[in-house]
Amino acid sequence: MSAVAVSRRRGHRVKGRTVLLALIVIGAVLLPFALNAYWLSTAVFVVIAAIGAVGLGVLTGYAGQISLGHAFFLAVGAYTAAVLGGNDHLTAAIWLPAAGIVAGLCGAIVGPTALRLRGLYLAIVTIGLVFIGQHVWFNVPAISGGPGGRAFPPVQFGSFNFGVGQQMTLGGVVIDHNGLYYYLSLLLLALAMLYVFNLQRTRVGRAMQAVRERELPAAVLGVNLARTKVSAFVISSFMAGVSGALYASFLSFVIPDQWSLLLSIQYVAAIIVGGIGTVWGPVLGSLVIFALPSILTSLFPQTSAGGVPIDDITSIAYGVLIIVFFVAEPRGLVGLGSRLAGLARLIGARRRPPRSRIQETQPIEGEEAT
Amino acid sequence: MSPADTTPALEVRDLALRFGRVTAFEHVNFDVEQGELFAVIGPNGAGKTSLFNVLSRVYAASAGTVRYFGQDLLRLRAWALAGAGIARTFQNLGLFAPLSVLENVLIGRHHLMSAGPVRAGVWLGPGRTEERAHRAAAREALEFLGIAQYADALVRELPFGIRKQVELARALAMEPRLVLLDEPVAGMSGDERAEVTALVRRLHGERGLTMLLVEHDMGMVMEVAQRVLVLDFGEVVAVGTPAEVQRDERVIRAYLGEEIDPAAEAEAAAEAARR
Amino acid sequence: MTQFLQLFFQGFALGCIYALVALGFTVIYRASQVINFAQGGMLLIGAYLVSVFATGTRLPFGVAVALAVLLLAAGAVSFQMIVLRRVIGQPVFVLVMITIGASIVIDAAIPAIFGGNPRLLGDPWGSSALHVGGVTLNWVRIWAVIVTALILAGFFVFDRFSRYGLAMRATAADEEAAAAVGVPVRRVYALSWAIAGAVAAAGGLFLAGFPNSPNPSLGDVALRAFPAIILGGLDSPLGAVVGGIVIGVVEVLTSGYAPSWLGANFSDIAPYVLMILVLFVRPYGLFGTRPVERL
Repeated sequence: MSAVAVSRRRGHRVKGRTVLLALIVIGAVLLPFALNAYWLSTAVFVVIAAIGAVGLGVLTGYAGQISLGHAFFLAVGAYTAAVLGGNDHLTAAIWLPAAGIVAGLCGAIVGPTALRLRGLYLAIVTIGLVFIGQHVWFNVPAISGGPGGRAFPPVQFGSFNFGVGQQMTLGGVVIDHNGLYYYLSLLLLALAMLYVFNLQRTRVGRAMQAVRERELPAAVLGVNLARTKVSAFVISSFMAGVSGALYASFLSFVIPDQWSLLLSIQYVAAIIVGGIGTVWGPVLGSLVIFALPSILTSLFPQTSAGGVPIDDITSIAYGVLIIVFFVAEPRGLVGLGSRLAGLARLIGARRRPPRSRIQETQPIEGEEAT
Repeated sequence: MSPADTTPALEVRDLALRFGRVTAFEHVNFDVEQGELFAVIGPNGAGKTSLFNVLSRVYAASAGTVRYFGQDLLRLRAWALAGAGIARTFQNLGLFAPLSVLENVLIGRHHLMSAGPVRAGVWLGPGRTEERAHRAAAREALEFLGIAQYADALVRELPFGIRKQVELARALAMEPRLVLLDEPVAGMSGDERAEVTALVRRLHGERGLTMLLVEHDMGMVMEVAQRVLVLDFGEVVAVGTPAEVQRDERVIRAYLGEEIDPAAEAEAAAEAARR
Repeated sequence: MTQFLQLFFQGFALGCIYALVALGFTVIYRASQVINFAQGGMLLIGAYLVSVFATGTRLPFGVAVALAVLLLAAGAVSFQMIVLRRVIGQPVFVLVMITIGASIVIDAAIPAIFGGNPRLLGDPWGSSALHVGGVTLNWVRIWAVIVTALILAGFFVFDRFSRYGLAMRATAADEEAAAAVGVPVRRVYALSWAIAGAVAAAGGLFLAGFPNSPNPSLGDVALRAFPAIILGGLDSPLGAVVGGIVIGVVEVLTSGYAPSWLGANFSDIAPYVLMILVLFVRPYGLFGTRPVERL
């Protein structure tokens, strides 16, 4: 195929992708007006979780470090927010970034363990982190409110807070409590995704992927393994901290039991279902994993279906979904998406009339025919 | 570097590697002059790859010293080698399969770039400038090897021969002063071998790089190497030009594994004729 | 002193159960590099199977246990053949996630099927015990130790002296080479899962014994066996046993002696704390071996 035809094809693809992106952005911005309160609050949870998932995507997806400890960093962020925002009554402009920073610092401390430990050894130490964390949350009521839990402050900027019942009117449009959280989280998610997009196409992202693939050659090529792995942990925990803080703030009351291993597993499932090592994967995966309970509850409005509690049904659905997914499409939703896109291109190519194909192979003026 | 600088690129003195009671190699002494193409050969199991791994700081030496342009090499951590100007290729290819060719080559330039998590994430400004400059340099390396058209292809989709060239392009892109080539023609067909041999010659001739080659394909080595070191069972058997080494009795014995005594052979032939 | 002996004995018995979990896990991992997060879930199934057969039918207890063992072994093999075989060759995390998915399903399906309330195990021992010098030795626990010892002895004999034991060790060492010399690798995989299932049934039985009972929270207890696996080293059956017993003893001793400033129920996390401390010194566990990367 001639160079012009190739670049024309590539141009089409870029244009197509930009249009798709624009549609998604517009859809995301308009979404709150299409949803009722129940589904909008679900959407808020999904978007907040996606922030944390994008972070885990950096650590596990790009840098290849297995971590089941995400729940711990979410909790650290949440309790930082609780102490600064709830106990000390500081504005969200302080406690939100602080949640990320404190969690990030914890990540910097935990990170070096990844230098000594590999694979399953690292995974189980991160599980231990979750349990030890829960032990701390249960036993330090000043921070966590003890086993009974505590209230978390709503997001507050200056005198305006996002608490329940609050509203904001923007150019004639009314945005309620759910909507406020939605847009704030959406903005932060967009920033997080942009950051990761830039990361993965530059030096640091490449270094992480090299470390994920084969550590020894990466080191011999000049990649500083320690710095790369610890950076991945810090970035991941920072995002987890922000996500955890927003989650607790939106929920407004959290018991320490919620920062459990199952929560960590949900995040891991989200990034894998979505597609490892991609920017959109964690977001798509979050859509599936974190909206699932709401979907199931709306299908079975009773607290149980056929005598089975809804929680158990949700869990079973998770488990089955995970299994089926990984047997059928290990590259996650993104892999599924590109498989479908490839299929679409194949169908499109077959449908094109023969003449244009001949035109494409014509040499351009001045160029030698190959 | 002053014009009269004749410090050898490598000075290896009494180098040894032992795993418990097993000796991979010992009493290894040799120099590699600047700009030289030096080869280490020997039968399988002679200790060549182990020697390589010690020089590229994958294994810790059990004894001896190595000076690299006068510096103590054995003090460097593995990831500091690139910054010191040492590039190494891998026999089984140290490429990253899911990444593109260009990305693989760019990892070779990791030590020449400085963007950290903040600058990389922000992109606009110095991050972007640096990235663009180094992408251009990476493409240059690909063009030298003649594989620029594969820049965006994923490594896992490419045949072995092309991957080998990507590995070489990456070594070149590292802007090294010393290149360690680990069995560059292992597992290749005749045509591929000729191509890679020519590429190695070009790299050496056109870029004036100092190269240390480990190989057990005698033919290829004799074609390109200026000096050769022969290892057998972890001991140095001979050092010299290819011609000298080929004629060396001990080398012949090492490869063929038997004593060549002309007198005894003549007697045996006479004995057989008598019967 | 008697309190120490009492706790030590209880810890040792608990440690035997952890050792069984760890052994089942290690057998699978050694043979096929699969990380079976569902091992604990299998114990849960084992406990319930024994309970169903022992209380729901008129079969003698021993037969009920044998049935449970067979059924669970068969179930494990079926899972391996139906699900895992389809993903051979995929990266490790795919297999890990599948077993995690299975464990989630099991942990939720058990209460879904049987309800959340504890059941009767149906064992002949109940809370009966031997009393020696002030120490109460529950028969369930004594049997746990005895059966674990028998299983380990049996496994040792199998591993060292039987053809399939050799086949498993060969597959664990180098799968390709083993296949090349005619070792039936697929059968070895299936066998490793069958062993894991059988061992899980025994573990589940004793886990659900006095003072516990078959109930959905047993799955969580099995999670504490993971530090045992790591402590011993992923690929060492001996390590699995040592790790299990050490963790069991430490857990119960801490429940008796831990100072209050460490927080309530510190013994729940003591296994993990111990594991982390050991890993600082030995990153591959006490008996684990460092994986070799060929350059």
